[in-house]
Amino acid sequence: MLDYIKQWLERRRAGHIGDHDRDNLPSPKAAGDQLLSNSRLIVLDLETTGLNAAKDEVIAIGAVAISGGVIHLDDQFDLILRRPELDISETVLIHGIGPEALTQGHETEDALLYLLEWMNGDPVLAYHSAFDQKFLEKTLKSVLGYTQPHLWIDVADLLPAFFPDAKPGGKGLDHWADCFGLEVSERHHAAADALVTAELTLVALNKAGKDDVKTLKDLNDKLRYHRRLQNMHRF
Amino acid sequence: MASNQESNRPQNTRAIMTFLREHAPFSSMDDAHLAHFAEHASLRFYADGDVVLSPDEGIVKRFYVVKQGRIRGERHNEKEDRTETTFEISRGECFPLAAMIGERPTRTLHRADGDTFCLSIEQDAFITLFSESDPFRDFCLRGVSSLLDQVNQRIQSGAMASIGSSNSLDTPLERYALRNPIVCSPDLPVRKAVARMHENNVGSIIITDDNRHPTGIFTLRDLRTMIAEEKGPLDTPVRQVMTPDPCRLPAHADAFEAAMLMAEHHFAHLCVVDDEQRLIGVVSERDLFALQRVDLVNLARTIGTATHLRTLVSLRSDVSRLVDAMLAHGADSGQVVKIITTLNDVTVRRVLELNIQKNDPGIPFTWLTFGSEGRQEQTLLTDQDNGILFRTPEGMTEDQVREKLLPFAQTVNKELAECGFTLCKGNIMASNPKLCLSDREWDDWFIRFIDASTPQNLVYSSIFLDMRAVFGPTEPLHELLEKVLARIRKNALFQKMLAGNAFQRKPPLTMFRNFRYLNDEKKHALDLKRQGLAPFVEAVRVFALANGVETANTLERMEELAKKGVFDPKDANAWKEAYSLIQAIRMRAHQEMLDRGEELTNYIDPDDLNPLDRRILRESFRQAQRLQQKLEVTYQL
Repeated sequence: MLDYIKQWLERRRAGHIGDHDRDNLPSPKAAGDQLLSNSRLIVLDLETTGLNAAKDEVIAIGAVAISGGVIHLDDQFDLILRRPELDISETVLIHGIGPEALTQGHETEDALLYLLEWMNGDPVLAYHSAFDQKFLEKTLKSVLGYTQPHLWIDVADLLPAFFPDAKPGGKGLDHWADCFGLEVSERHHAAADALVTAELTLVALNKAGKDDVKTLKDLNDKLRYHRRLQNMHRF
Repeated sequence: MASNQESNRPQNTRAIMTFLREHAPFSSMDDAHLAHFAEHASLRFYADGDVVLSPDEGIVKRFYVVKQGRIRGERHNEKEDRTETTFEISRGECFPLAAMIGERPTRTLHRADGDTFCLSIEQDAFITLFSESDPFRDFCLRGVSSLLDQVNQRIQSGAMASIGSSNSLDTPLERYALRNPIVCSPDLPVRKAVARMHENNVGSIIITDDNRHPTGIFTLRDLRTMIAEEKGPLDTPVRQVMTPDPCRLPAHADAFEAAMLMAEHHFAHLCVVDDEQRLIGVVSERDLFALQRVDLVNLARTIGTATHLRTLVSLRSDVSRLVDAMLAHGADSGQVVKIITTLNDVTVRRVLELNIQKNDPGIPFTWLTFGSEGRQEQTLLTDQDNGILFRTPEGMTEDQVREKLLPFAQTVNKELAECGFTLCKGNIMASNPKLCLSDREWDDWFIRFIDASTPQNLVYSSIFLDMRAVFGPTEPLHELLEKVLARIRKNALFQKMLAGNAFQRKPPLTMFRNFRYLNDEKKHALDLKRQGLAPFVEAVRVFALANGVETANTLERMEELAKKGVFDPKDANAWKEAYSLIQAIRMRAHQEMLDRGEELTNYIDPDDLNPLDRRILRESFRQAQRLQQKLEVTYQL
């Protein structure tokens, strides 16, 4: 897969337009009886110009894939989009992506088509996934007119659901990473954040296997139940 | 171009390469090969206790590196029907090497010890790296031992800088030995013998019989003495002035043995002989050390012939310089402590000889040394623990003998202190009337010592049960030791008390296998002697005494115990290696303290060590724990 990305990058540099089959983009898969131990899961993280999905924009996409409970590093996605028109003054200090990087980034339309093909309709996991989901769906819709909903799973829900006794110092990604002693190679780099999120997912999937949560549907049900429990506690 | 390529790699690939670069063998591999690893790697998670790799899975197809956490190897001990941890693999380490290379199943169950992440590559990526990267291939082929080599190499290269040569003292003697040595028959006149030496430009000639057995050696020094002391005309047959029965070693002995023999006896030439004792070569001190400028033999000779105390005192700094050089020339820590002990012995002997010349007490005695000196395990930081053993001459009482020996011993203790052997704070010195005893008194002393196992006696055990004769007749000590050992073998209670005492000294590892520091005051200090070496020394002593091993040296005791079948040979090797590595790290620390002009201590901060040494240290401490487990099982503590 990495070779595929390399070829694609080389073609892009040579000025070719991406070769995509727009009419046959993959359809999202539903949470059915597929075994977790056989499924491919996408773990994704976005860097954006700000927190407001209504006016801010995606500038970098990092993602890794988990297949059969293993992160395969030859199956990953790490791109900065070419969006020189964007104002990044508010967030440049967080993600470190400056104006120059944005001019050298990758053609947005092409990159998103490629992302969709790479995701292959598989379920998408992210930490505080509502944020990434809003941004990605908005971007896919405005750039490609793509509106099919992927199955999203929030890793921020996944962890407390499987580790109710864990006491992270808070609800953030860093807190859970610390809780399991994980290191983030470069925080607020989309791909590095995606990897640490995926590592946390591996920890949760290991526990899931032991708790008899076998299928994607089991997992989805467990999370829904957990969320309901949380909401009940709130009242 | 390189930096451009670097920035084109995905962040996570770069991060994995950065991680790999911190660890051997990846630290010496090319970026392209690291990238190959990172791009083909997969990342797996194992919760505490999960099986990572098992003998049941068949031929291993993946090569793993621990990214976070720890893996432990488990083997079932059939004899005792329990599971033993045989090794630990921590962050940055690779597995399974032997099984991967041998394309066979692993023989050890690999289990996660705590939550663990491993990077791994498949066989084809492994083969690519194996065939393309020299450092990677070397590492895999040499396996774990190459880690130890690296530590030794670093110890050597540190001291090497000032000298610059890499001849190892492990080199077999035959490589140093001069082939076709110059020989002559015993009847040749000295004049002709010297002419033959002159023609061949050598400093010695070997006198052989008809079967080529060396019967004597004649050197330029002998010639000098002969002329200076007018021993005879130059027509004298060489056999009348030669040194008869020259020292010899077999060809497979190594340079270290030769150097030690020369240092002990102060001669500069050794005959190298084959299995039938026939002369095949001569090795000279110069051959051994010319390239290295390590003047062990000369130094030993200078100490051994010094005529004044002040010369001895001034020579002590040369000993330190020599240790530096020895480390540089590939002597391992076991060799170096022996050299220090040898030189210390020579110094002690010379101080005794000078005092006998000045003021002979007139009674033969054996000078005993105890503790680390008794074990031949002295480093530069040393104090004196000594005593006297004598046979009461007829017509004298023991107190009368002491009256003569004690003032003598007092002077010797004082002069040794001037030579750098710190006075013993506990007054374990020959000038103490309680330690200047006859053979009968020592024997009584040991009977009380063994029968009354008081706490104080147990403290003394580390001193008095590691005993050696440095000067005077050795036979009285041998007889004493035989009795003592026989008594200890029969006294199970004493053994158990000794074992219990040794068991108190825990290696400095916490439950989580981190370093356990000395105390709150010394937050990051480990005491390599008390916490690191002592657990080995004490445990090994118990086994040695219980099994009639007479030698006091810890490494030799372990060898003997392996020979007697008390230790499994593989265990004994692992323990010897671990012990030596702690000793090596301690000695290097001492040399560094000397360089900085600091007072010598046994404290080190593990954070000051490089990751490799830290790992080695941790693994060495774990070996000490295993040795203690054996003690625990044997004596049911």
